[in-house]
Amino acid sequence: MFNYTFQWKQALARLPQMLDGALVTMQIAVLSMVIGILLAILLTMFRLSGIRVLSAVSKTWVEIARNTPALFQIYMAHFGLGSFGIHLSPFASILLGITFNNAGYLTENFRGALKAIPDTQARAARSLGFGQGGAFRYVVLPQMLRIAFLPMTNQMVWAILMTSLGVTVGMNTDLYGVTQGLNALTFRTFELFALAAVIFYLITKTITLGARLIATRLFRY
Amino acid sequence: MKQTTLGLGLLAATAAMAAPSYADKLDDIIASGTLRCAVVLDFPPMGMRDDSNNPIGFDVDYCNDLAAALGVTAEIVETPFPERIPALMSGRVDVGVASTSDTLERAKTVGMSIPYYAFENAVVANEGVEMATWEDMKGKTVGATAGTYEAIWLEKQITEWGEGTFRPYQTQADVFLALSQGQLDATVSTVEVANANVASGNFPGIKIVDKAPMVPDYVSLFTLREEYGLINYLNLFVNQQVRTGRYAELYEKWIGEGEPADLTIPGVYR
Repeated sequence: MFNYTFQWKQALARLPQMLDGALVTMQIAVLSMVIGILLAILLTMFRLSGIRVLSAVSKTWVEIARNTPALFQIYMAHFGLGSFGIHLSPFASILLGITFNNAGYLTENFRGALKAIPDTQARAARSLGFGQGGAFRYVVLPQMLRIAFLPMTNQMVWAILMTSLGVTVGMNTDLYGVTQGLNALTFRTFELFALAAVIFYLITKTITLGARLIATRLFRY
Repeated sequence: MKQTTLGLGLLAATAAMAAPSYADKLDDIIASGTLRCAVVLDFPPMGMRDDSNNPIGFDVDYCNDLAAALGVTAEIVETPFPERIPALMSGRVDVGVASTSDTLERAKTVGMSIPYYAFENAVVANEGVEMATWEDMKGKTVGATAGTYEAIWLEKQITEWGEGTFRPYQTQADVFLALSQGQLDATVSTVEVANANVASGNFPGIKIVDKAPMVPDYVSLFTLREEYGLINYLNLFVNQQVRTGRYAELYEKWIGEGEPADLTIPGVYR
């Protein structure tokens, strides 16, 4: 039994506010991806370095990021650090939580990508006079990023969807937070969340299609 | 095109669901023998759980009373604040006994009874923050439980002042955790919740500062907007609760000594 009259006008009147929210959602996702990729490259290098401590850091990070819920990671960034007197704003908390998660997953992606690159390439590069760093930087890394490109877009989509967890730490300016605020105000639950779902879908679809286009352009052999 | 498809789909769905009987919700409840109430169980002392995890509180008793009056069994359906409307619209519950503020904006969507309770709100602050009156919240980082009357008021107040930050948290417990940790400088909550939380000692380092200068937060029972039969019944029920002294009794049981709030507004009918 579903007894409800849809009032789309009431919800559409709030669309500009929701689009502002979508912009904030994009900001968080993009920032968390950029920082996440840099961290993941660092963690991958840690792992390859052969130095015990560094590779342990990398392993622990990946283990925690991949085997605990994102909600937990975000909650810890806010209330966990908060109990030690470190007070992050909701924006910083969600950014930290998602970046932590991204870095963990991407490190694992990069590891998979590295496996697809034959060892002989690094050795060939060394024999051509590259140092260890140079061989990684100029020969291995570009190939790794190319192989990991589509998994990276996956993570980007995931990052966008994870921003909706920000409401648990008091975030009210992202798409999900704005929608929930409007819902409390008007009780137009179904219309508002349907709109939010469409916006989320359009954003993520644009990203996956865009990424596929870029991939076919850039990575032609 | 899209709208037409959706419209047609809805029409088909409605036609399929409309049973030939004209029994209304009130009849359905009596016939089924069960009254399903949406109650927020994260909102002491109105709704909470006891040591053996059973729902208790003012709203729980209120639902039980209503079921007894109808001669049916009460079923408490735990419903967080943001999920009250989906729970009602999807038919998971019959009525909401969920401390729901009767705003005009919301009444466009659901049917509200006459008020069955009224909250006053207090400003609660972290002890490390210098505050004497509610106006000292200006420029501070404040927060409240998302979707509540006090959250809506507080956010509006911050916007009017043009300085300070507002943060809504998902549960009352998170608000007080953030306040206790110092992530928030102050919050506005019902006097009942503020007293309970300060007394419990679960949240060290908080103090009640002042009353918040807002119109008392009148809360209503709610059901589907078109269920006049049921809404009429709910209105009479609220009236009888006050008339028979049960309202005062429940107030004493859950909130404490003193007079429960007056549910009438001088100078106007309702």
